[in-house]
Amino acid sequence: MKVVSVVALSLTLLLGASCAKKTAKTDTGADTQVTTLGSIEITAQLEEIPGEVRNDPLYDYAHVMKYKVLQVQRGKVDKDTIYVGHYNPAKSRDAVADARVQQIGGNLKQFRVGDVHHMALEVPIDDYFMGGIINKYFGQVNDPIYWAVWTDKAAK
Amino acid sequence: MDASAYEFRDTGRMPVLLRSLEMVTRKALWLLVLAVGLFPACAILAAQDEKVAELAKEVGGKGWIVYASRGENGTWDLFLMRPDGSGRRNITNTPDYEEGGPRFSPDGKKLLYRRFAKGTVIHHDLWGFQGCLVIAEPDGSKPVPIGGDREYPWASWSPDGRQIACLTQKEGIQVIDLETKKVIRQLPRKGIYQQLYWSPDGQWFCGVANARMMWTVVRMDARTGELNIVHEFQSCTPDWFPDSKHIIYPSRPSGQPGNNGQGFTQLWYSDGEGKDAKMIYGEDGYHIYGGTLAPDGQYVLFTRCPQDGGGSERSGAPICVMRMADAPALAGLSKDLRKVHPEAKEAPVLQLVEGWEPYWTYAEIGVQK
Repeated sequence: MKVVSVVALSLTLLLGASCAKKTAKTDTGADTQVTTLGSIEITAQLEEIPGEVRNDPLYDYAHVMKYKVLQVQRGKVDKDTIYVGHYNPAKSRDAVADARVQQIGGNLKQFRVGDVHHMALEVPIDDYFMGGIINKYFGQVNDPIYWAVWTDKAAK
Repeated sequence: MDASAYEFRDTGRMPVLLRSLEMVTRKALWLLVLAVGLFPACAILAAQDEKVAELAKEVGGKGWIVYASRGENGTWDLFLMRPDGSGRRNITNTPDYEEGGPRFSPDGKKLLYRRFAKGTVIHHDLWGFQGCLVIAEPDGSKPVPIGGDREYPWASWSPDGRQIACLTQKEGIQVIDLETKKVIRQLPRKGIYQQLYWSPDGQWFCGVANARMMWTVVRMDARTGELNIVHEFQSCTPDWFPDSKHIIYPSRPSGQPGNNGQGFTQLWYSDGEGKDAKMIYGEDGYHIYGGTLAPDGQYVLFTRCPQDGGGSERSGAPICVMRMADAPALAGLSKDLRKVHPEAKEAPVLQLVEGWEPYWTYAEIGVQK
């Protein structure tokens, strides 16, 4: 009986450790794509979504959002606050790739202010996206606009 | 007539003969009322038909219109027709391809268009990036593919037809010599993302850009790359007037209650500096796209589509011809638009076949008249 209990306890601990490891992976948003795509990889907190996130099936566009940079994993980001264009943000990232923008994705389901995202980026947006851009910061900010290639949810 | 008369009839006590007589009189009265009411409406319609017939007669001999439409084989083909709709003929007739976006060279001696793989859904915003550029004789013969799939995006003729301007993502606007295929010069695209067209005098480009906001029609100096805004907010598919000083474009102003508050797209024009914006044609319930001028600027071509986008994803929309002298014009009831444009007229509009992205040349191009 004692042996059985020890084995059960060990299995429970192992399972718990495995789950904890899995959770940790999701929380940091670290998957193959986010660590390899784009020339920049960061973890950042979404600070502002200016204007309305439009959901129009006939028109595609990128929406520029404001982020506070928490960590730079790859590449160079000079500022603490950056502006990132997300393609058709009303769509879940795993369903956003289409004929216009093919290499894009992530596990983020919805954009919410305050959430932390692990992202693979490119810059400037015009070199990677050719379409309508909702940029409410136009004329207020002269910083380059980043282009979100891969967007995963990360732990706060 | 008093109520008792009705009561008397309703009792059914009227002698049969009288009742028949009364019924005949009633019918006659109704017919009279109908005739009196319908006469002015019929007269107006007849007069309008007459004016449309006059317009058809006026434009019938003025060159040719090329456009994309569904062929009998079900794919998109290119067609030629006289501006009154006569002499229609399929000039590509390719069951294995789809074709669209045709443009005569300024002298009318060549035709440029895009050829797509069979079954491609032609996207109303992406079509200039889709498929392969083809240059043919104006009657569609001797088609020569220029480059491969997705190359030479948004190709637009130079004034002499020896070069094309293309709009690319990373290299910006490229001017390419058609004979050598060499890039002669290059300009940053400065936010222009679709529908690039070179002005007839060669001095300018127009296109759709992210300027202060997306869906802005802009003009770019073709030598310096300097950009100016022509019209902001939900404006697209611009094209040049023959004078190279004015630009025609569809635009959907804000504040329209129709279409669930989204409004409808009208045809507008401005000068190249963005001043003096004027509506050309509008109609509540229809989106007006495909606006382009006749080579002398006297007539305007457009498509009217109940759905947004111009119909490239389906089968296009009716192609229409109107005199520029009749602008601004509104059609149908258009209660909302008439409040905003009380000065608008009722113009004769010649409605032709269904198509997409029509284009007009006055050149005689060697096909049957």
